[in-house]
Amino acid sequence: MCKGKKFSVVVMLIVLTASVLAFAAGSKEAAASEIVIGSVQDITGPTSSLGKMVDSGARLAIDEVNAKGGVNGKTIRIITYDTKGDVNEAINAFTRAVTTDKVSALIGPPVANIALALAPISERYSVPFLNLAIDPKVQIKADGTPYKNMFGMQPSADQQGSIMAQYAIEKRGFGKFGIIYNESNAYAVSLLAPFVDTVKANGKTVAVTTSYTANDKDFKTLLNNILQAGVDAIYSPGYTQELILITQQARAMGFKGALIYGLDAGPPFNNLLGESADNIYFINNIDTTEPHLEAITKSVKATQNIDVTNKFFLGYDIGNILVQALGAVGSDSVAIRDYVENLKGYQGLTGVITMDAKTHFPLGLEMVMHTYEGTTPVVLERYSASY
Amino acid sequence: MALLISILTSTLITLIAVIGIYILTGMTGLFSLGQASFMAIGAYTSGLLVVKWGLPFPLACLIAIFLAVLVGWIVGLPTVRLRRDYISLVTLGFGEAITAILNRATPLTGGAAGFVGIPPYTSFTLVLVSAVIIIAAVAMFKVSKFGRQCSALRGDELAARAVGINVPWIKMTAFLFSVAVTAYSGCLYAFYTTYVDPSIFGWRKSADWVIMVFFGGSGSLTGAVLATFILSGLPEILRFLADYRSIFYAALVLLIINFKPSGLLGSWELTPKNLRKLARDISLFMKKGGKNA
Amino acid sequence: MSLQILINGLALGSVYALIATGFSLVFNVLKFSNFAYGAMMTCGAFFGYFLSAANGWGLVPTLLVAMVSGAVLGLLGQVIAFQRILNNNSSPIYFFVSSITLGTLLEGFVTLKVGANFYNYPRFFESSTFKIGSVIISKSDAMMFVLSAIALLLLAYVIKYTRIGRALRSVSFNRDNASLMGINVTMIIRLTFMVSGALAGLSGVFLGINYTLYPTLGSLVVKGFIASVIGGLGSLSGAVIGAVLLGMMETFLIHLIGSGYAPVVTFLIMLVFLLVRPRGIAGSNVQEKA
Repeated sequence: MCKGKKFSVVVMLIVLTASVLAFAAGSKEAAASEIVIGSVQDITGPTSSLGKMVDSGARLAIDEVNAKGGVNGKTIRIITYDTKGDVNEAINAFTRAVTTDKVSALIGPPVANIALALAPISERYSVPFLNLAIDPKVQIKADGTPYKNMFGMQPSADQQGSIMAQYAIEKRGFGKFGIIYNESNAYAVSLLAPFVDTVKANGKTVAVTTSYTANDKDFKTLLNNILQAGVDAIYSPGYTQELILITQQARAMGFKGALIYGLDAGPPFNNLLGESADNIYFINNIDTTEPHLEAITKSVKATQNIDVTNKFFLGYDIGNILVQALGAVGSDSVAIRDYVENLKGYQGLTGVITMDAKTHFPLGLEMVMHTYEGTTPVVLERYSASY
Repeated sequence: MALLISILTSTLITLIAVIGIYILTGMTGLFSLGQASFMAIGAYTSGLLVVKWGLPFPLACLIAIFLAVLVGWIVGLPTVRLRRDYISLVTLGFGEAITAILNRATPLTGGAAGFVGIPPYTSFTLVLVSAVIIIAAVAMFKVSKFGRQCSALRGDELAARAVGINVPWIKMTAFLFSVAVTAYSGCLYAFYTTYVDPSIFGWRKSADWVIMVFFGGSGSLTGAVLATFILSGLPEILRFLADYRSIFYAALVLLIINFKPSGLLGSWELTPKNLRKLARDISLFMKKGGKNA
Repeated sequence: MSLQILINGLALGSVYALIATGFSLVFNVLKFSNFAYGAMMTCGAFFGYFLSAANGWGLVPTLLVAMVSGAVLGLLGQVIAFQRILNNNSSPIYFFVSSITLGTLLEGFVTLKVGANFYNYPRFFESSTFKIGSVIISKSDAMMFVLSAIALLLLAYVIKYTRIGRALRSVSFNRDNASLMGINVTMIIRLTFMVSGALAGLSGVFLGINYTLYPTLGSLVVKGFIASVIGGLGSLSGAVIGAVLLGMMETFLIHLIGSGYAPVVTFLIMLVFLLVRPRGIAGSNVQEKA
């Protein structure tokens, strides 16, 4: 018994010392020659691949600037905070970033759940939070005014969903849709209503809407219900792995019609599918065939062994917007917030970004509809996302 | 300071949930992998009652706890007569079911996008006072007749039955008591984060809590409290390890379970008597240490 | 039409069966639920991918590599996480806590290795389906069904008719007695973990082929848990029957009411099962040991 107590006392002492050290280390003021920005991402947990991608993109942007001597003679340091995909962890991470590490600005996740939880808390501080959530509820309060620090850096779900529906109806002439979506995924759910609304507004029909949950991997039975209805196209907003399964299973069941997917059907989806990706239409932030982007894709693969996705380029753009803001107004977080709110005509990899001060989403940012020929991505149509 | 308050508040909310597990696992040796679902019931019910129907916060909490206990009773009914493993696996299935309902009932719960706009009523003081009251209540329970029957059951269910203890009844009571405490932690959680979504309450969370109870010493309430502080503080302290964080954490817990299976404190409790003994031991130890040096 | 659903259910059930068996095997011997099993499947799937499929090797070498590495991992896991608990003769709940932590550890390593990238097994078959009458059968499903059946039959034979199998059953019945009869209990337990690990590797590759590769692939293990409750904890034949039943049930539920509420109905059925037939389908009698 006595031995046990000694052991416990030792453990307690170690933990206490460690925590004191951690707090002391954490509260260290940033060196004068340094600007700190934070990146709050899911580095572990189910959505880690998305979070790591945004983080790597932002880091590339910052590294490039630092290699050229930084901004106004100061180097930029980026600190990554892991949310583990957990709201509680995210709140602690956010609080640590703004109160202890005193970051000038934050880069947020592409996952709506985390951003939704942080939105009300971000109001208490003055640090801008440039995130990639497409759910309008992340940036806009219930009363219709935007959260002052939250900025969505890609077109909203409303815009993306209606673009996909418009393209399918106007350019492809589809009239009867089946929908299969992940009802336990906030991203997929947010893309459902805008698509359905646009289809209905154009006098077309959604014949079957069916949903699955996170642990479902066998979609054949659900797809069967859709195929029985004889639809022109199947719309499915979801994550990459699910889209691969849905494509494989729908094709195996003999469905020859079109498949309409969201952002996550962008490359490397075509290489993972393992079969021809013909007759798949998807929306993307970028034109993947642009030589400049292809060059970045190749060099990142060579240097970091990462197969970049559109999330990487979104992260890269946010990193560079922050660099430009730091160069223009310095490291004061309020000034950066104002700068981002009034951002006009920023030429990024994902298009020309002009922030709408009313919605805190970019105004008129282009989205690109793609398809595949075999496994080669082909650009079809550019859409300017108007609110 | 804001960071410290934020970490302490969330740690204390976790602590209350862990105390809930302690009543079940520490006192009776049962364990539930769906305990987080009762947290979900607490969080969603109280949140809905306040946001949609404008009920006062304390009343909403009471109704939420009552509902959770009712549901817990239904889940417990077929399992308390069975081998202990069943309750863990049945509660696991229950967790899946609750998540499915929360995802499905979109008009009410917001579905996967989560339930937003809960007012931030949970203050640090409220959480602290709640934690202290609950710990005191559980400590009293532990030394009561009921508590002693629980630990008899934990040691040897067959023997406990033989001396006339109504085993299913004890199991059910302990289970419902733990459900009530966990549901209350859910109420506090919802009004602290102001946002809840169904993915928060998976079986991993329940498993984390069980680990905390064992880390501290499965028979010790003091240990459970200590372990919660260490293990929920640890990931925060280990942030600098970034990707290696969860690996380090798991390795540490494995070490403790393997090399000190009784946990940090075994069944030692912080009572005035034990405290005096500890002080005496430490002073003895210091003297001896001095001689050796 | 309904035959198609039956086939789909059978395919799903055979995956669950493999998961449930590997899980039940350890339960059978040590009387605890090995929650590291999901992470073992994930590891097996990734070992198969990185050591074999990524080098362009075919299906059979990939399966073998995954099974061997799964077995090694099972052994390692036993040594790291369970041997000391066994020596101390601690209560089963320690195994439980240790297994969950081991699972977290393994998953942590996988996340570290695969990072932000996506992986998928190459196509092992030219065309992916064949038709019998109006019923479409996916080749990977059929292969999975056949290989699972072979693996499970082989396992059943070993347990029932060989010396090692007898020793395993004797250890499962009572460790101390078995030891007194001159059986090397530690060896048998390690062997059990290796076989269970090999099964994890096998099911990991199947899951990977059918469902793509990602670090939380192993979360499907939950279905194996539920199947083994329906089948009767600790019974291998029960686990298989429970798994096939669960697969069929889910497929029918999805067809009838959609996927959303399927877990709720599954749970209610499980409750009813426990009320009506608490020992599960197989009715194996696992007593609480003091």
